[in-house]
Amino acid sequence: MSTRTKIAALAMAGAVSLAFSLPALAEGNLAIYAWADSISPEMVAKFEKETGIKVTVDAFSSNEDLLTKLQAGSSGYDIVTPSQHFVKIMIDSGLLEDFGASSMAAYSQVLPDWQKPWWDPTGNHSVPLAFGNAGYTVNRDLYKGPVDSWKTYFEPPAELHGKIASLAQPDEVIPAAENYLGIKYCSEDPQEMKRVLDLLLAQKPFVAAYSSDNIENRIGSGEVAAHFWWDGNTMRLRRNDKANVEYAMPKEGLVGWLDSYVVPKGAANIENAKKFIDFMAQIDNATAQYNYYGHSSPVKIDESKALYNKENAPELFPTVPVKMGQACSPAAQELVTKVWTQLLQ
Amino acid sequence: MKPSSKNPNWNILGLLPAHLIMLLTLIIPIGIIIVVSFSTRGPYGGFEYAFTTAPYKQLLFNDGWTGELEFNPQYLIVVARTLLLSAVTTSICLLLSFPVAYFIALQRPAIKVLLIYLVTLPFWVSMIVRVYSWIIILGKDGVIEKTLRGLGLVDQMDSLLFGNTAMLLGLVYSYIPLMILPIFASIEKLDPALIEASHDLYGNRFTTLRRVILPLTRPGMIAGAILVFVPSLGAVLEPTLLGGGKTMMMGNLIQLQFGGARNWPLGAAIAIVLMAAVMVFLIFQGLRSMRSEGLERAA
Repeated sequence: MSTRTKIAALAMAGAVSLAFSLPALAEGNLAIYAWADSISPEMVAKFEKETGIKVTVDAFSSNEDLLTKLQAGSSGYDIVTPSQHFVKIMIDSGLLEDFGASSMAAYSQVLPDWQKPWWDPTGNHSVPLAFGNAGYTVNRDLYKGPVDSWKTYFEPPAELHGKIASLAQPDEVIPAAENYLGIKYCSEDPQEMKRVLDLLLAQKPFVAAYSSDNIENRIGSGEVAAHFWWDGNTMRLRRNDKANVEYAMPKEGLVGWLDSYVVPKGAANIENAKKFIDFMAQIDNATAQYNYYGHSSPVKIDESKALYNKENAPELFPTVPVKMGQACSPAAQELVTKVWTQLLQ
Repeated sequence: MKPSSKNPNWNILGLLPAHLIMLLTLIIPIGIIIVVSFSTRGPYGGFEYAFTTAPYKQLLFNDGWTGELEFNPQYLIVVARTLLLSAVTTSICLLLSFPVAYFIALQRPAIKVLLIYLVTLPFWVSMIVRVYSWIIILGKDGVIEKTLRGLGLVDQMDSLLFGNTAMLLGLVYSYIPLMILPIFASIEKLDPALIEASHDLYGNRFTTLRRVILPLTRPGMIAGAILVFVPSLGAVLEPTLLGGGKTMMMGNLIQLQFGGARNWPLGAAIAIVLMAAVMVFLIFQGLRSMRSEGLERAA
């Protein structure tokens, strides 16, 4: 063989072995795909030590990213953590394993409010991980005015012009706008959605950025004075970084969410996934996870060791109505997309 | 062309890995995208193999808010903006690169190597990190604001981040090495005797630049322009991180269709249109340079 053919043969062998080695995953592994910074690294380390299972954790920053990855097939993950409406979409699309969640030890730890909810009526596809709400937060060094209404955010006063940041996902922002306008979620009425678009278009000149990454720096450093955000994240920024931020309690209502552990269809390590979910629901571990993540816990925790309460973490105990986000019909989703595309076109 | 080997079969075999890689990583994926672009969208994303041209129609026509199908240029606006911003990026890169490349070409060989190394240095760092660092430079309390405040030039300034200027800056910064290198290569090849000849014939500096240097380095500039223009068309990072996600470019539009909008066929159709535009552009450029070469040879 000439050198050239040898190289050719080697390259081909390399390409072929690469193509066939990708799906093979070793035993004793667990691949988790979760919201950025949502799973306590300490608990992951403890789990690895107790079980000898090697855990990898990747992060996403939107439900849409996660859904797209699962729809594209063979994501390679054993546990993912979508929000309630995406759990419903994923179950309806046949993207999740029925891993008998409701008969697991973890499920007996789930608070009654969150057992067998509308998005998983059999309770077999998901185990709740954390819940909270979406609203907006303000930097109190830059903005001193009232935050008791969505009006401050959507129709900002002059001092907030150019100092507001939104998220990059329609799914998060539009329900909030619907709360403000008194329109029900997932409306299929074009005229109602046109009102949502008009509201967002009027707000756009005052918006500095539509971005879901790097939020804590943007609001913490004062790059912007108001940011669409989540309750627990605001609380963590306020407590850990001593940032002068305040989470708004808009009287029109916050948008509720609940993230769950689910197992994608065809996951390679389902047993390890179940072990991890049971482990995280044990009362001590759930408490440590709660103290790390800073969002409300849908499973029982040890109140005596919990770091956050009504006094030091008012963000987690909303005083206004919280309306859970829904899974929209394709027709309603079409309108949501239309609003968002015309907003950013 | 003459046969380069005694046994042509070996040539075909030798090229097989290249063809295989082309097939696996380029032809098949593009084929999949074309299939998706003619498919029906799934209710929650994904797609079903049922032939339709609806995604392409949707590029131009949309249900209006009154429910009637109407001509809607919303996607064309994004396409036009993308073309415009890419062209501006390319022009700025061209203007900045020429003097830089010329300066490098004039140096001693050792310095030249060092300078070329410095130009390529950013490529050793991930693009995301490089674009992110502009947030630190341009942002509030960033390097620029702190310096200006330290010098007492400004007291309070508006953020430099989030806007078309920041986005253009990011695009130019990201792709300018791809312009400097080919221009440098063509300046290197320039025969100094021709410049001297021009001066001998009473050509002043400007005439020499216009009638000798620029025409002879044009191939480098065209290569650089293609290398900058094409990736700018698909840029996603700069508009998102530096532009604040407020003005969509085609990359972001495609991302939105695959993500938030859950309309894969439309996303695929936009990608195909983008690719077709690039191909038309490249073929046009190729024909033009072939024709001008032909003219030169005939002259």
